[in-house]
Amino acid sequence: MVVTGRAVLLALLATGAVAISGQIGETVTYVAVGLVVLLVVLDVALATSPRRMRLTREGETSLRLGDSASVSVLVGNPTKRRLRGSVRDAWPPSSHSAPKARPLRVDAGERRRITTTLTPTRRGDARSAGVTVRSVGPLGLAGRQVTLQAPWTVRTLPPFHSRRHLPGKLSRLRELEGQHTAMVRGQGSEFDSLRDYVPGDDVRSIDWRATARNDGVVVRTWRPERDRRILIVLDTGRTSAGRVGDTPRLDHAMDAALLLTALAGKAGDRVDFMAYDRAVRAQVKASGKGSQVRRVVEAMAPLEAELVESDPAGLVSTILSQGRSRRLVVLLTDLNTTALEEGLLPRLPLLSSHHLLLVAGVKDPKVEEMAAERGSAAALYRAASAERTVSERHRISAELRRMGAEVVDADPEHIAPALADAYINLKAQGRL
Amino acid sequence: MTSTAPTTPAPSTRERPRPGAEHDSGGVRRLWRSVRVPVVLFAALLLVGVLLSLGGEQFPSGRLEPGNPEPSGARAFSRLLAEDADVTVARDSASAAQAVERTGEDTVLLVFLDHRMLPEELDTLSELGTDTVLVQPSLRSLEAFAPGTDVTGRADDEDSLEPECALPAAAAAGSAEVAGELYSADDAVVAQTCYPSDDGSALIRVDSPHGGTTTVVGTGTFLTNRDLDADGNAALALNLTSAEHVVWLRPDAPQEAGGSDIQDLLPAGLLWSAVPLALTLLLLALWRGRRLGALVHESLPVVVRASETTEGRAGLYRSRSARDRVAAALRTGFLERSVPKLGLNTDSGSQAVVATLAARTGDDPHHLGQLLYPGPNDPYVADDDAMLGLSEALDELTRKLR
Repeated sequence: MVVTGRAVLLALLATGAVAISGQIGETVTYVAVGLVVLLVVLDVALATSPRRMRLTREGETSLRLGDSASVSVLVGNPTKRRLRGSVRDAWPPSSHSAPKARPLRVDAGERRRITTTLTPTRRGDARSAGVTVRSVGPLGLAGRQVTLQAPWTVRTLPPFHSRRHLPGKLSRLRELEGQHTAMVRGQGSEFDSLRDYVPGDDVRSIDWRATARNDGVVVRTWRPERDRRILIVLDTGRTSAGRVGDTPRLDHAMDAALLLTALAGKAGDRVDFMAYDRAVRAQVKASGKGSQVRRVVEAMAPLEAELVESDPAGLVSTILSQGRSRRLVVLLTDLNTTALEEGLLPRLPLLSSHHLLLVAGVKDPKVEEMAAERGSAAALYRAASAERTVSERHRISAELRRMGAEVVDADPEHIAPALADAYINLKAQGRL
Repeated sequence: MTSTAPTTPAPSTRERPRPGAEHDSGGVRRLWRSVRVPVVLFAALLLVGVLLSLGGEQFPSGRLEPGNPEPSGARAFSRLLAEDADVTVARDSASAAQAVERTGEDTVLLVFLDHRMLPEELDTLSELGTDTVLVQPSLRSLEAFAPGTDVTGRADDEDSLEPECALPAAAAAGSAEVAGELYSADDAVVAQTCYPSDDGSALIRVDSPHGGTTTVVGTGTFLTNRDLDADGNAALALNLTSAEHVVWLRPDAPQEAGGSDIQDLLPAGLLWSAVPLALTLLLLALWRGRRLGALVHESLPVVVRASETTEGRAGLYRSRSARDRVAAALRTGFLERSVPKLGLNTDSGSQAVVATLAARTGDDPHHLGQLLYPGPNDPYVADDDAMLGLSEALDELTRKLR
C-alpha cells in the first residue's frame, strides 16, 4: 500500500476541522478520521492492480565501459481500466541508470515504453533488479505497488582504449613483411616465393637450382611465419587488484591483452586466452574464424581480481596440458618479487623448455614519483622505500630474462604498445 | 501487495523455490538481523542497571532528615537516639499526634520545619501537653507552644556558646554550637534561659500552657551529621531528648491543592484533534517513507592502491628511523642507474666504479668511496641532516653524469 501527499493533506484538513469544532469535538473526530480512512481504503481498492501489468524487455545487451546503453521495458495493461502512477526500472548503483523513476499512465489495453539509459562505471554484467509499478487510485489518495521481474542483462565490456595504437602497430607489421624479402633469412622463417635478383639482395638467398632453370639469377624470399600460436594468460590473483591510477592492474592488463589479440589476429597468428588465479576463470580457444577480439572481450567482461594468491604451479601445468606444440605464452601479471620468486621462477625452466614465455607487468608511476621525492627526512624515507621497490622489480626482471623469458615492464600508458612492440620484435627475429 | 521480489536470481540449475516463501523467511531473517543489535544492547544496559542497583541503598535527602547520611542530614543523631529510646518518625501532624497518644507519658516531641504546618495543626499538637523540643520554630509555633516568648535577635557569627544556666541538660553538656535565633521571655513567664548571647538566649525552656515543657532551640545545626561530634553538641541533643519515646516530626512539604488542570483549560476540540493529528503523522510517514521498490545491492570490488606496500614500508622506515636502510636504498638506486652509463656492468668492483666516476666527474676518489661504499662507520646515517646530505650528494653526482 502507498499513500500520496494528497492523503496527508486531507488528514491535515481533518485535524484542522476537529481543532475548531469545540464542544462537539468527539463526534467530529469520529466522522473526520472515519472519512479519511474510508477514502484511503476506497482508493486502494479502486486502484488498477499493478500486478496484472505485462512487462516486455528490449534494448541493448552490451556496451563498452564509458559508453551509454538504453534499455526499454514495455508496460502492457491488459485490464479494462487505466493505470496511473509511477514506475521505476531498477539497476545496480554502478550502472547509473537514468531516470530513476518517472510518472506512468497506461490506458486500458495499451502498452507504454519506458526507456532507461545506463552509463556503467564498472565492467561486468549488470542485471535488472526488477521493475516497480505503483498504481494510484482514482482519487489520487492512495494506491498499490508491486515489483515485477523483467530479467535483462547488460554486459559492460572492457573499454579497449589501446585500440588507437592498432593502426600504427599494424603498419609496423606490414613493414616487417615487406622488409623481410630483402632481409637475411631468419631462423625458422618461412619460404614465401622466388623472384629475380636485385643488387643488394643477400647472395646467400640465391636459389641456384631455380637460377639454372631460368635466364637470370633468382633469389628465394622469406616472410614472417604465420599460424603461430599465442596464449595470453591474465593473472586474476590478488596482485592484480591493486589500483594504478584509478584503475586496477587487471584492467590495464586487459587493455594490453586486447591490443595484442587484435594485432596477432591480423598477423595471422592464432590467439588463445586464459584467465587464471587458482583455477581457470575464463578461457577462449582460437577458432580460426571471425574476430578473436570480440570473443576475448566477452570473456574478459565479467572478470574481477580475486583476493587469493595465484598458483603458478597450477598455471604451468594447465598450460602444459593444453598441448605440446610450441607457442608464445604471454603472462600478464605483476612483477612482484615474492609472488614470482616463490611461485613462478622454480617452474620457469619447465615452461621454457616447451614454450616461449613473455612476462608483462604494469609499473606504478606513483612509485617512480615517490622515488624522486627529496627535501625532508620524511620524503627521503618514502624515496628510499620506493627505490627499494624499483630495484626489486629490476632484479626480478633481470632474473626472468636470465632464465630465458622476455620481460615487458611499463607504466599503464605504455604497457599496451610496449607489449605489441615486444611481439613484433619477436616476430621479426623469427622466434615465435 | 507490496512485496519486493529478491534481486538475486535463483540458481537456474535447481528448482526455483516459491518466491513468496523465500521472501517470508528472508524477511524474518532480515528483521531479526536488523533488530538484534539494539535488542542485545538494551538487554546489556538493563543487566548493568540491575547489577548496579543491587549494591546501592536509597537514602532520603533533606536537611535534618533522620535517614539522610549527607552532612546536612541527621542520620547520625537519629541512630544515636534509637540506641536508648524508641524513635518514631512522623511526616505530618496527625501521625505525630497519634504516636504521642500511643506512647503515653514519657515522650518527647521533636519538631522540625514547623512552618510547613497549618496554625490549626500547631494548636492541636500543643494541646497534646507533652514535652516538646522546637528547633528554630516559626513565630506561630512559639505562640502555640510557648506563649510569652519571642525572637529577639540572631547570633550567627558566634561558633559556640557557654550554657551559663542551671538547666541540667545544658549545664551537663557544656558549650555547644547553638548560635542561631535568640529568644527572650516576658517577665510574666517563668522561663529557664541558657546559652545567652547579646540579644537573648539560644535555648529557652518554658512550661507549656497545656502541660509539659517546651524547649526552644534557635538552630538545628548542632544536630546535623557534620556538627554532631563537635563541642557538647551530641550531649546537649541527647539531654534535650532524654525520654523513653521520641516522636521525630519532620512534616513533608504540603501539597498544593486546587488549581485547574491543563485539560480543563484547553477547548475540547483541540484535545480531540490529537487523534486526526496522529493519523496525519502516520500518513506522512507512509508517504515519505515508502520507497518505489527495494534498494538494489551490489558487491563492490576491493579498492587498494598498488603502491600500498611501498607506502607502508616508507612508514615503517620512518617510525623506526631506519636511516641505514634509507642510505643503502638510495645508493643502490644510484648505482643501478649510473653504473650502466659508465660503461661498466654490475659485476664491476667498487674500486672500478669509484675510479671511473672520479675520472668522469673530477671528484675526489676518497670522498666518492665514502659516499658510495662506506665502511662499517657510515657518516651519512648519523642523523636526518646527514641523510639529507647523502641524497643531495647523490643527486649532484647524477646531474654531473647527465
